[in-house]
Amino acid sequence: MRLKSLILWDMKFQVKYGFYLLYGILTLLYLLVLSAIPETWRENIAAILIFSDPAAMGLFFMGAIVLLEKSQKIPCAFAVSPVNAGEYIAGKVISLCVIALVVAAVLALAAGAGCLPYTLFGTAVSGVIFTLLGMIIATKITSLNQFILWTVPIEIVGFVPAILHLFNITPAVLRYYPINTCMDMVAGRKVTALQLFLTALLLAGLLIHARKCVLKMWQSAGGIKL
Amino acid sequence: MITVQNLSFSYSKNPFISNMNFSVGKGEIFGFLGPSGAGKSTLQKILIGMLPTYEGSAVVNGTECRGRANRFYEDIGVDFEFSTMYEKLTARENLQFFSSLYDKRPRPAEELLHMVGLENDADKRVGDYSKGMKARLNFIKALLHDPTLLCLDEPTSGLDPTNSRIMKDMILAEKARGKTILLTTHNMQDATELCDRVAFIVNGKICALDSPHNLIMSRGAAKVSYSWLDHGEHTASCALDSLSRDEKLKSLIAENKLQSIHSSEPTLNDIFMDITGRTLL
Repeated sequence: MRLKSLILWDMKFQVKYGFYLLYGILTLLYLLVLSAIPETWRENIAAILIFSDPAAMGLFFMGAIVLLEKSQKIPCAFAVSPVNAGEYIAGKVISLCVIALVVAAVLALAAGAGCLPYTLFGTAVSGVIFTLLGMIIATKITSLNQFILWTVPIEIVGFVPAILHLFNITPAVLRYYPINTCMDMVAGRKVTALQLFLTALLLAGLLIHARKCVLKMWQSAGGIKL
Repeated sequence: MITVQNLSFSYSKNPFISNMNFSVGKGEIFGFLGPSGAGKSTLQKILIGMLPTYEGSAVVNGTECRGRANRFYEDIGVDFEFSTMYEKLTARENLQFFSSLYDKRPRPAEELLHMVGLENDADKRVGDYSKGMKARLNFIKALLHDPTLLCLDEPTSGLDPTNSRIMKDMILAEKARGKTILLTTHNMQDATELCDRVAFIVNGKICALDSPHNLIMSRGAAKVSYSWLDHGEHTASCALDSLSRDEKLKSLIAENKLQSIHSSEPTLNDIFMDITGRTLL
């Protein structure tokens, strides 16, 4: 019940702050791009668009959301409420994934992608990974400039190998790199159980670390940094 | 309601709070008084479970604070010194959001808004509120889930006299509803007016703990000052407990020549300075 409320209110905040409007405009722009390129390129370009924007949006927007909350001392309010860190994280992750999935579905359908469920599953998994990364960074920083600086190395290790992997120009062993597994799924390609297992391991690690970071953020609202 | 035994806490190697012992009964308004940096906000944060790395024991509502679960907050309302609201949301939306985080059935937002005179501004964004309005809204946010313990951090800080009066009346109204209230303040007048008992805190230690009345009375009797006209105005004073031995006063009364007469008890501020040797700044 509390989680449902957190998700719905997070979506409401996102509407108020114009996330939905922004993604409406971006989706139209991406559709124009897809319609302007040759048909043989569409699937790969759609995969890159989905992976680098709706799937990775959490990386960028989590910084804005958490910084905004910090500036309004909202972490203090959460720290003395019955909400636990897991519910707080889940509310943000799920609400952002909803936008990511809708945009990904529109782009995949427009590009005539082969396997929509795979693409959506890949988008959801990538979305959770990038949102958790965004949250981990956002809990540690105090300004937007710091956030932008911190996201650069993540963009390099998150996007470059995945895009190279899409065009099969990476060593075979890198297909086990969880980010590349995500790109495979976004592109509608089948993945092995081992690839999925390694991706799940990364997800679990990020979730545990994000929970620790949120608790630390709430505790530092109590005036102490452990 | 609250039992604190041998409580110590440190932000670094040096102790910040050392060896505190006190208890707070149900329905009591208990004040932590002290200058900035004395440790009163830290103490309150320990009691609301935000600082679990303390030594000794701090039991609130039957729960040791360091081992509290999230349910602990179903029965505690915290009003910080600053606003903790989403500024882009309206007051009503903020109250709806925060009440949705509790399992308990919330108090009607409309009733709370009416209580603090914000019913006509309920659909205004909190970002557009004045400081006094934000303070009142923050206060009713702490009441939403009808907690049995209220923790208020400098509730009248920065408020004009009218808003300060409104805030104090609301605190007394909650006490009348049976709530236990922890009040952190460096405003001695508020403490005298509101608190059943106060603890003077300086350098992380409790220097005195009693009711404001007892603390005031424990430091000598009140004085009586009087004045009369005799080729110009003259004044004199004597202790209240030796009034009958003041011959000058007796003669002025007999001759109906008193110009003015009033008693003046020491204030809690005087007592604080007397006991701790510190001012409250």
